[in-house]
Amino acid sequence: MSERSAVALVVDDSPVNRKLLGRLLQTLDIEAVEAPDGLGALASLRKLGDAVDVVLLDIEMPEMDGYATLAAIKDDEALRHLPVIMVSSVDGLESVVRCIELGAADYLPKPFNPAILAARIRASLNAKRLHDLEVESAARQAELLRTIERQKEELSRFLSPQVAALVSSAEGEKLLVGHRRLATSVFCDLRNFTPFSEAADPEEVIAVLGEYHRAMGALIMEHGGTLEHFAGDGMHVFFNDPIPQDDHVERAVRMAVGMREAFADLAADWARRGHTLGFGVGIATGFATLGRIGFEGRYDYGMVGTAVIAAARLSSVAGPNQILLMPRSFASVEDLIVAESVGEVQLKGFSHPVEPMNVVGLLDAAVGAVPAS
Amino acid sequence: MTSSYGDVPVLDPGVIAELLESTGGDEEFVRDLVATYVEEGTGLLGGMRDAVASGDAAAIVRPAHSLKSSSAAIGVMRLSSICRSIEAAGREGRADALGDAVEEAGAAWTASLEALQAAGLAP
Repeated sequence: MSERSAVALVVDDSPVNRKLLGRLLQTLDIEAVEAPDGLGALASLRKLGDAVDVVLLDIEMPEMDGYATLAAIKDDEALRHLPVIMVSSVDGLESVVRCIELGAADYLPKPFNPAILAARIRASLNAKRLHDLEVESAARQAELLRTIERQKEELSRFLSPQVAALVSSAEGEKLLVGHRRLATSVFCDLRNFTPFSEAADPEEVIAVLGEYHRAMGALIMEHGGTLEHFAGDGMHVFFNDPIPQDDHVERAVRMAVGMREAFADLAADWARRGHTLGFGVGIATGFATLGRIGFEGRYDYGMVGTAVIAAARLSSVAGPNQILLMPRSFASVEDLIVAESVGEVQLKGFSHPVEPMNVVGLLDAAVGAVPAS
Repeated sequence: MTSSYGDVPVLDPGVIAELLESTGGDEEFVRDLVATYVEEGTGLLGGMRDAVASGDAAAIVRPAHSLKSSSAAIGVMRLSSICRSIEAAGREGRADALGDAVEEAGAAWTASLEALQAAGLAP
């Protein structure tokens, strides 16, 4: 709260009393606003809103007396919290009880004792200040929650949905720290992309990449893959983490086949614009370390392990439109696909040659053509 | 209710002293306050006389109450006491008793103005 001086609304039909109260408030460093009756008081309160901190209210007034004014203030959601001190020459316990029951903070007889009234006003101002702080802190809290929601939403546009969800889950911190798990890694990139990007206009390159990323991104989500990163035309997606997926190899293969089909549509269009591009995928399954990789300010949720390297190498040796599977991945899905050997391949950094399989197609995709068994 | 106010001082110097003390000896402010009082009081007294003239007991309550309150604030005690009685009588609808009481209030008002002038607080 800013250090503005407090404001008191003085409601009294007598100019003598208003002057006296105004003077007292002045010595307390409180700004006085005056109203000659209840109607004027309510009008001032609705106009000034939260600027008023305390109300000093007379009872016997023309145009709405103090009881009605007090009742109206306490009936109004926006004004209810305002402390109201009755300052009145209406005698009798009955009137005091009535006002306290209506919600008055205090009741002082007139002529008032300046020292007592000053003390009551200070007490009421403290209560009001506390209330204001509570309201302010609640507003700040709500704003904070809104900001977090906004950031989460913003974040989910950059992260894969699984990782974005992790960020805010209780289990997330544990998973982010790093863990070992069997996972399937998928690398894919475009053939001829480098010469294309050198020859084409930058706008054309960005446009082609945009179409490609949009199409591939939709397939990654559809199959529940975790996108580790885009790097130009290359992508690394993995499965079975952070959300466990029993069928992680199958998901990877189905996604890759879907990508190849989507790519064929894109490539036909690009070819009409004079760009010849190809698409290749490498898939490998193995135990890997997964979790937060990077440094303060720039973290990825990543996968580290031999399978990642194998998938990357396979992707780079894959011919146009090939989806190469390491033998371990192939073993999990051989009943689901039509595949062909591409012979022994020596992958850079691997001590033994491997014999990857190229996915020709999905068996269930052919169900329409071949009667089901 | 006549002549029972002789014991009550027209002007209580103690109240004026308190006013001066609480305003840090600001005589200017007290004089200004008295001027406001005189102006307001003249109107209130007129309102009370109108109520008597029309025999409307209820109409006297508000001006009597206000004059009671303002008078007490600056130490005009006798008038304040008379107004208290008038207010009560008005609330009870005793219109017959009001004429004399308002006469008495008028006399007290004049005496009060003189006392305030004597104290150097009114012109």
